[in-house]
Amino acid sequence: FPGLADVSISQDIPVEGEITVPVGSHSPDEDYSTLDEPVKDTIMRDLKAVGKKFVHVMYPRKSSALLRDWDLWGPLVLCVSLALMLQGGSADSKDDGGPQFAEVFVIIWFGAVVITLNSKLLGGTISFFQSLCVLGYCVMPLTVAMLVCRLVLLAGTGTVSFVIRLIVVGAMFGWSTLASTAFLADSQPPNRKALVVYPIFLFYFVISWMILTFTPQ
Amino acid sequence: GLPPQALVDDTEDVSLDFGSEEELALRKARIRHPLATFFHLFFRVSAVVTYLFCDWFSNSFVACFVTILLLLSFDFWSVKNVTGRLLVGLRWWNQIDEDGKSHWVFEARKVPTIAASTEAEARIFWLGLIICPVIWTIFFFSTLFSLKLKWLALVIAGISLQTANLYGYIHCKLGGQKTISRVTSRLFGTTDVPKRQSRRISEDGTEERGKTGFR
Repeated sequence: FPGLADVSISQDIPVEGEITVPVGSHSPDEDYSTLDEPVKDTIMRDLKAVGKKFVHVMYPRKSSALLRDWDLWGPLVLCVSLALMLQGGSADSKDDGGPQFAEVFVIIWFGAVVITLNSKLLGGTISFFQSLCVLGYCVMPLTVAMLVCRLVLLAGTGTVSFVIRLIVVGAMFGWSTLASTAFLADSQPPNRKALVVYPIFLFYFVISWMILTFTPQ
Repeated sequence: GLPPQALVDDTEDVSLDFGSEEELALRKARIRHPLATFFHLFFRVSAVVTYLFCDWFSNSFVACFVTILLLLSFDFWSVKNVTGRLLVGLRWWNQIDEDGKSHWVFEARKVPTIAASTEAEARIFWLGLIICPVIWTIFFFSTLFSLKLKWLALVIAGISLQTANLYGYIHCKLGGQKTISRVTSRLFGTTDVPKRQSRRISEDGTEERGKTGFR
C-alpha cells in the first residue's frame, strides 16, 4: 500500500457521549402512600379493621384502635340489623313496619349526632366521626340483646320471659354504656364528665327501652 | 478515481424498545380500567334507579330502604377507596395522629405511570361524581314537597354520602395546603451506554479520506 506510509494521524480525538434513556420503571411507593395498592388489599384491610373494632367493643380495654382508625361500617351494619329486628314482625300487613324502621334509624343516628355535638360543645377533644364511630360500635351489646329477646319471645310471652328479657337487656345496656364511656369520657375535662356521660346513658336507655317493649304482632 | 467509500454511518436507525406488547396495548386503550369504571357508575346508578322504581321491585319499604342504603354505602366506599385512585389518581382520607387531632389528607398522583388514567376515564369519573349528588338533591325536594317523608332519611343519607366524595375529590384536585404530593420521580435518569467506538478523525480528514479507506 504505497500511500499508507504517508498517513500519520497526529491526534486521536475520541468521540464519545452519553445518551439519556427513559428508564421506564414504577417508582417505589413510600410506605404511607396507598395510591397504587391492589384493590383486594384495600378491601381486606378495611374488613380487618372493622372486625378488630368489634372485638374491642366486646372487651373494652383502653385501646386506641377504636378511636384512631374510625370507620362507620360497623355502626351501619348494627343499625340496620337492629332496625330490621325491631320492625314489627308481619310482612303482610299493610303498614309494613316502614315508619318504625325509619324511626329506629333516625333515633340512632340523630341521637349519636346530638351526643357528639354535645361533647364537642363541652370542650371535648375527640373528633366528630370518632365519636360517632364509638357510639355506633357500642350498640353491639344491645343488638345481641335484641337477638336474645327475639329468641326468648319465640318461646313465650309470659312473666318469665319478661324477667329474662329484662335481665338480659339491663346487662347489655350496662355493658354498652360502660364501653362507650370508657372510650369517650377520657377526652373530656374532668369536671364535665358527668355532663357527657348522661346523654350517652339516655341514648342507650332509649334503645334498651325500645328493645324491651318490643312485642311481635 | 476511487469511489468514495461509504463510511460506517452512526446515524442508522436503531429500534428502541419501549416495552412489551402489553404495555403498548395499554397505552393505546381508551379505557384502561374497565372494571373500575363499571363499578364507579354501577352502584350510583343502581341506587338512583332503585329509588325511582322501588314500587316495581318490591312492596316492602324496608327492603327498598336497606337495598338503597347498602348500594349508597358500597358506592361511597368504592369511589373513595378504589375508583378515585385508579381512574384519576386522587385519594383523600382522615387521619388521627398521636395527639388525637384529626387531619384530612388529600393525595394526588403527580407522576404518571404507564397505567395512568386516560381522558375518557377521567371524564366518566367526574361526570358520575357530579351528576349523582344533583339527582339526589332533586329527590330531596320532590320528597319534601310531595310529603313522602319516610324516604327523607334515605335521601338525606344519599346526599351526604355523595356530596362528601364530591367535596373530597374536588379538594384533592384543586390541591389545597394539605396535599401531600409525590415527590420522587425516577422516571428519568442517565445511564452509561457502551461507548461507541472511538473514531479517529485526523485533522486533515477530508483530504485523507481516500487514503485512509480500506480496501
